[in-house]
Amino acid sequence: MQLPIKLSEQSREPIYHQIEHQIKALIASGQLEAGTSLPSIRALSKDLEVSVITTRRSYQNLENEGFIKTSQGKGTFVANIQASFKKEIKHDTVTKAFEQAIDIAYQHNYTNAEIQDIIQTILRKEGER
Amino acid sequence: MNATIETHQLEKVRDDFTLGPLDVAIESGLVTAFVGHNGSGKSTLLKSIMSLVKPTSGEIQVLDTNITQSENWKKEMAYLPQDKLGFGPFNGHQLRELIADLYPNWDDELFHRLVHDWNIPLSKKFHSMSPGMQQKLALALTISRGTPIMILDEPSAHIDLASRHILFDVLSEWMEDGERTLIIATHHIEDIRKLADIIAVMKEGQLIAQEDKDSLAQTYTQYWLTGELPNETLPGEVKRHEQSIITDQPASFEQYLNQHDQSWFKKESLSLEDTLAFMLTI
Repeated sequence: MQLPIKLSEQSREPIYHQIEHQIKALIASGQLEAGTSLPSIRALSKDLEVSVITTRRSYQNLENEGFIKTSQGKGTFVANIQASFKKEIKHDTVTKAFEQAIDIAYQHNYTNAEIQDIIQTILRKEGER
Repeated sequence: MNATIETHQLEKVRDDFTLGPLDVAIESGLVTAFVGHNGSGKSTLLKSIMSLVKPTSGEIQVLDTNITQSENWKKEMAYLPQDKLGFGPFNGHQLRELIADLYPNWDDELFHRLVHDWNIPLSKKFHSMSPGMQQKLALALTISRGTPIMILDEPSAHIDLASRHILFDVLSEWMEDGERTLIIATHHIEDIRKLADIIAVMKEGQLIAQEDKDSLAQTYTQYWLTGELPNETLPGEVKRHEQSIITDQPASFEQYLNQHDQSWFKKESLSLEDTLAFMLTI
């Protein structure tokens, strides 16, 4: 299975972190359900064009935090995650996206009021759909 | 570290070229890609490891055995040279028989799968095949040996894009058990992107870098400055190009700019391809 992961070489966030966060987000949003089998470290490394050292690190962290489980000879699977935990991750993912957007706005010297205006405008447009 | 192959002060001196002295260690479970210009010493190094070139000095160990002390290690290695000497007069069936006999763990199923996927005509004599077909047959005859170590010198030479993707799939499958060691020498950036874990950069007979692919890709950052470029050399500066400076120490570089009231309007880390090209030219 190919995971919908997109890496950015230009991000400050290390590659192994990017992989970790995106898999967490896929699990939290329900796109990867508990029990789903994940690609092997080697296969994912080839798809994402990264070293197995990087992918192994991401999988190890995800396993330590209880998001995935590896069983000898069978492969790696999505673990059961509590609903409250999922909610927390969702919240983190969305917060992070806003933080990034706000960073960009600050780089362009926008004020808080102006940023709020932009967000309101976008929400209004979305509401019309 | 579990090194499967190690060289100690390995040196090969020829009239016009010296390789080394080199201390190289190759780890198992990983794909190491040797990159470098033609004549940088990649092939000479690989041939020395295969005992096909006699070193002037130094030693080589494969699986903890000095390669001059026994021949047993040869059964543990599959090697694809650039020139397939001796294959010419035989057809694919004959070559399969000759080679399968030498390797106790020969994987006949894998061989026939590759023959099928690559449409290799086994009844044709090797010397009457196209260069691409010769390469595919030689690859199939190498990958199927069932050895723990494999060395491929220019694996994707001559072969078309579709066949190359099959090659990437098969080689990553080959690495799946996590204990095997794959070494490739290549000029193709796609081989490196898809397969390599460690990149070993060779230049004029020396190893100038050996690093995890993703760390290597972080080596250089390019900054486009607003205003005039300062006259002095900036921290980590390795090159200037028009309005931009490339540095290998972005943190102290940024600190310097902040202290000198200079700013930048764009910054980018060099792509893997540019990083390698750059390392080989400076």
